[in-house]
Amino acid sequence: MTADVTSKPAVRDAPKKVVARRDPNRRRARDLLVIVPTFAILLVIVFPVLWMVFTSLRPTTALAARLPWSRYFDGLGFGAYGRLFGNSDFARYIGNSLLVSAVSTCCTVVLASLAAYALSRFVFRLRRTVLMVVLATQLLPFVVLITPIYLSFGELGLLNSYVGLIIVYTAMTLPLAIYLLMGYFDTIPLALDEAARIDGCSNVGVIFRVVFPIALPGIVTVIVTTFIATWEEYFFASVLNTSEDLKTVQVGLSSFFGEYTSDWGVIMAAATVATIPTIVLFSIVQKRLVAGMAAGSVKE
Amino acid sequence: MASRSARRQPYALTTPALIVIGVLFVFPSVYNVVLAFQKLSPYDTPGDATWVGFDNFKAIFSDPQIGSATLNTAFWLTALTVAIRLVLGLGLALLLQSQVLARWRLRGVGRTLVLVPWMLPPVVAVACWKSIFDANTGVLNQFLVSTHIVSKGVPFLAQTSTAWWSVIAIIVWRELPFVVIVMMAGLQSIPKEQYEAAAIDSAGRWQSFLHITLPNLRPVIVVVVLMTVIQTFNNFVYVWLSTGGGPGTYTQVLATQLYSAAFVANDLGQGAAIGIVMTATMAVFALIYLRVTGDREGRSA
Repeated sequence: MTADVTSKPAVRDAPKKVVARRDPNRRRARDLLVIVPTFAILLVIVFPVLWMVFTSLRPTTALAARLPWSRYFDGLGFGAYGRLFGNSDFARYIGNSLLVSAVSTCCTVVLASLAAYALSRFVFRLRRTVLMVVLATQLLPFVVLITPIYLSFGELGLLNSYVGLIIVYTAMTLPLAIYLLMGYFDTIPLALDEAARIDGCSNVGVIFRVVFPIALPGIVTVIVTTFIATWEEYFFASVLNTSEDLKTVQVGLSSFFGEYTSDWGVIMAAATVATIPTIVLFSIVQKRLVAGMAAGSVKE
Repeated sequence: MASRSARRQPYALTTPALIVIGVLFVFPSVYNVVLAFQKLSPYDTPGDATWVGFDNFKAIFSDPQIGSATLNTAFWLTALTVAIRLVLGLGLALLLQSQVLARWRLRGVGRTLVLVPWMLPPVVAVACWKSIFDANTGVLNQFLVSTHIVSKGVPFLAQTSTAWWSVIAIIVWRELPFVVIVMMAGLQSIPKEQYEAAAIDSAGRWQSFLHITLPNLRPVIVVVVLMTVIQTFNNFVYVWLSTGGGPGTYTQVLATQLYSAAFVANDLGQGAAIGIVMTATMAVFALIYLRVTGDREGRSA
C-alpha cells in the first residue's frame, strides 16, 4: 500500500509534465480531435429539434418551393401557429391532454404514496408478494392488453370517456411510481413517523404531513415522470377514445400527418407545442431524474 | 385490539393500488387468454363471442405475413436497433466522459445536448423525421438533390430499400440518450485505480478499454440490453406512425400486426393470440437471457 502511494504520483505526473513543457499547442490541437467530433455528433442529434422549430416558423410558400439555401431564412413568422389554432381543434386536444394527464398523475401519486409507505414502513406477511406483483407488472408489455381492456371498457361504457383513459394511465404509471417512492421513503428516518404518531397523527396524516414534505424532491420527480409518460402516450388514447372531442395532443398531432401532408408548417407547429410541456418539466428534474435512473440501472 | 388494527394497516394502505393493478393488469391478462380462443369483432359484446379452439393460434403459425412480422420484429426492430444503440451509446458516453471535455468545461453542455431527443414525445419524434425525410420538401432530400448526390427526391419511408433503415434512424435517435446516460453512470463507477494500475503496466488505451472498461461495464450492459429489448420488441408507435407497416406489409411488426388484426380486420381473438405469442416470446427471452448472463457472471466472480 505505502509503496503504491509513493510510486504512483511520480509515474503518473512525469509524462504529463514533459508533454506540457514540450508543446502546449500540440495538446490543444489534440484536444480538438476529441471536441470537434463530439460536438459534430451532438449537432446531428440536436438538429431535428431545431429544424422542427425552424420549419414551424417558415412561411407556406417557402416550404412548398425549393429555395436556394441563401433564402432559407426569409419571412419567418408565427403564421403556422395561427393556422394551427385557427383551423383545427388543437387547443381542445391540449385541454384534453392536460386534464387526463393531471388527474391520472394525482391518482397515481396518491395511490402510490399509500402503497409505497406501507411497503417501506411495515413488515407484513404478504409484503414480498405485493412487491413481486408490482415488479412483474413492469415487465408485462401493457400494449398487448389492448384487446381485453377495449372489450371490458365497451361493456362498462368507458370507451370515449375521460374516465376510461384516466384509469388506464393511472394503472400504467402506478408500478414505477410505487417503486420509486418506496426508495425515497426508505431514506426518511422512522423516528420522525413515531414522533408524529405520539403527537396523535394517523397513518394517512403521517404520510401526507410528515413523510410527504420531507420526500418532496423525490415526489416531484415521480409527478414529473408520471405526467410526461401520460402526456406522451399514444396507443391507448388512439384506440379507446376515437371521438374527435376527446382526442389527446399526441393523437391529434398524428392525425395531421395525413390531413395536412402539404402543410408541414402546421404539423411542426403542433409538434413544437406538444413538446413544450415535456421539455419544461424535464428540465426541472433533469439532474435528479438522470441520477436516479443511472443509479437504478448500475445498482442492479 | 391495537395490535390487530396495526397488523391490518399495511393491507389497508396497499389495497387501493392493488385493486387498480388487479383490474387493469391481472384481469386483462387472464381475459386475454380467454379471448385468444374466441372469435368476435370490436362491435360485439363479450357475450357474442364464439369459441374457436386453437384456430387463432393455427392462423398465426400458418400465416406467412405473421411469420415475416415476427422476423421484422426480432431482427430489424429489436436486434439491430439495440445493437446500434449499444455501440453508439458507449462511444458517445466515452467521448462525453473524456478528460478533454472536462478540461474545456464542456461536459455539462454535452450532457444536456445529448438528452434533447429524449425530451420529445415519440409521436413528435416521428413527425420531425417524417418532415426531414419528405421526398419533395424534406431538408434531407433538398440537400441530397442540391448537392447532386441524387437526381430526384428519395421517398425514404415509402420504398423497401430504405424504409427499415429510416425507421431504425428514428428509433435509435429517440432512444439513444437513455443508453448514453446509463453507460456514463457505468463508466463513472469504474475505480480509477484500475486504469492507473494499467498505465503502470504500460497498457495502451485500447488494451485498458478491452480489459478494464468492458468487463466493468458488463453488468450495466446486461441491464440495458434487457430493458431496451423488452421495450422495443413491444413498440407500436414508431413503425405505425412512420410507415404504417408499409410499403405494403414490408415493415409490419408484431405490435402493428396485433393492432391491424384486432381493429382493422376486426378480429379481436386473433389480436389477443398475437399478444400472447408476444408476451411468451419476451418471457422466454428474459429467462434465457438472465440464465446465460447470470451464469457467466457467477463463473467470472
